[in-house]
Amino acid sequence: MSLTEHEIEHLREHIEHYPEKRAGAIYCLYYVQDKYGYIPRASLDEVSELTDLSPTQLDELITFYTLLRRRPVGRRLIRICDSISCYTRGSEQVLAAAKEASGVEFGQISKDGAVTVLPSICLGLCDRAPAGLVDDSEDLGELTPEKIRDLICSYAAETLDSKSGGGQQILAVLKDQQ
Amino acid sequence: MEKVLSRNFHHAQPLDLATYRAGGGYDSLQSIFGRDREEMVNELRASGLRGCGGAGFSTGLKWSFLAKDAPRPVYLVINLDESEPGSCKDRQVLYRDPHTIVEGVLASAYIIGADKAFVFVRGEYKVGAAKLEKAVQEARDAGLLGDNILGSGFSLDIDVHLSAGRYICGEETALLNALEGYRANPRSKPPFPAVKGLWGQPTIVNNMETVCHVPSIMHKGAQWFQGQGQNGGSGTHLFQVSGPVKNPGVFELPMGVTARELIYDHAGGLLDGRKLIAFQPGGSSTPFMTPDQLDTPMHFDAVAKIGSRLGTGGVIIMDDTICPLKYTRNLIEFYARESCGFCTPCRDGLPYLVHLFDKFELGTATAADHQTILELCGLIGPNTHCALAPGAVMPVQSALQLFDDEFKKHIAAKGCSYSPVAATASQAAAGAGVQGGHH
Repeated sequence: MSLTEHEIEHLREHIEHYPEKRAGAIYCLYYVQDKYGYIPRASLDEVSELTDLSPTQLDELITFYTLLRRRPVGRRLIRICDSISCYTRGSEQVLAAAKEASGVEFGQISKDGAVTVLPSICLGLCDRAPAGLVDDSEDLGELTPEKIRDLICSYAAETLDSKSGGGQQILAVLKDQQ
Repeated sequence: MEKVLSRNFHHAQPLDLATYRAGGGYDSLQSIFGRDREEMVNELRASGLRGCGGAGFSTGLKWSFLAKDAPRPVYLVINLDESEPGSCKDRQVLYRDPHTIVEGVLASAYIIGADKAFVFVRGEYKVGAAKLEKAVQEARDAGLLGDNILGSGFSLDIDVHLSAGRYICGEETALLNALEGYRANPRSKPPFPAVKGLWGQPTIVNNMETVCHVPSIMHKGAQWFQGQGQNGGSGTHLFQVSGPVKNPGVFELPMGVTARELIYDHAGGLLDGRKLIAFQPGGSSTPFMTPDQLDTPMHFDAVAKIGSRLGTGGVIIMDDTICPLKYTRNLIEFYARESCGFCTPCRDGLPYLVHLFDKFELGTATAADHQTILELCGLIGPNTHCALAPGAVMPVQSALQLFDDEFKKHIAAKGCSYSPVAATASQAAAGAGVQGGHH
């Protein structure tokens, strides 16, 4: 696992437009996470070299900022808002249904590697409560327990269909780490 | 009332630069470039524009704090970290009309004489940040950003920064730390950002909506802006209504519209069979308002006068089916989780409040716990670095006053008699998203 020369050059260029290198840390960490689905140890060293921050200092950032992660998640990351607007429209029941459908606790990867469900702070989708967000890019609105169950089932099916091995790859990485 | 922020929301897709300009976009620059900066700041002060991120501070006054001989570079930082529960207005502009943001940033940067602008976008708005980045690139290609813009001698570039989560980033000094690549712990003030901000340089931090009002004020004048408001408010505002109402949404309306008009005429009133118990006027950190206050004009001074805050103008409804204690517990839990952990009263006090509220739900609470909540609020609120903790305890103190009998009932009945909150998904409105002021 390592970044290509081209990628490192891209990150270096990005860092250069800040007066201080560390300002580019979040961008670099995002870049690595987008590539691998999480931030592996080896990448910490690479980002460390680019930003002049120690791996520990980078970990300080990763553990603070909720969208960064040091462990893999399922093929689909489902965030469901539990803040007040969604709460008044039953997000608790939506979250319970999502947890049940995933078969594991929040934050863990479902047995088939298809999903990880996480409660989230307000997503700015209060007008569509109860709301959620998939892979930090697809909005979910007007959720119901049925709707979230169906969605998780469809992700499970998509994982089975995936020629790349889908969720199994993620599970293999996880096994490797343990 | 003329729509300003949502004027292009009827288009299915965000406008490209050519279409945006054809509709009068960037015309404001003609009224801005070359005009005396101090005069423009004074006009802004006269317009009555106030910070739309929640604090409601006079924008013109804030800008006047920037010293004339401020050391270079001067930064303009736009706060697009909208995360206050009940607030979903900035997202609409970001996703539906990003050129309005670029124009607002450019106009504001010219007036304060900024050398560079950063737009700090919360990580959950990644797709929107990409739309904004595209608009910025279009503006660069057309010479609206870069060196010597339109021959004015003024140069500016806009950097779109995608953040990585945490509510506290919306606190202006925490935001500056986040931008610099540190944990988002708020800084001690003074020095204020206008003196020592980003990388120690003079910095103006404004909410996205605030700067988006600037071009039209400069183009049409302070008096025009004042005329857009009603009942003592100035301009328009993107109000939001969420919770158990028929038509939750974002509505651009005159500042000063009454809460009643907003909730009943625009948001369609409560769901059938529900009764309004209370509402938070401007996000989850604002003290409750009650049905007898529905005729209050929704502008900063009128809402402050009755003891609450207009905040972001994101109204959240509490109806008669939800336990007021559970509702309040949800608010505290949010702030407990989002505390940056720097100050002990906030880091340790808020989770303890959650624990005390749990006792009421479980039926183990006593009158002493009721008293402890009251005292704890007084200890947490004023003893922290930033406004997160005061914002967290304000609605709790308000709940203690309004729902005193509910606390007592929970103690006497040894638990909660309300049903769990039922799932009632919002009706997906056709073309969901922002709705115009007047249909």
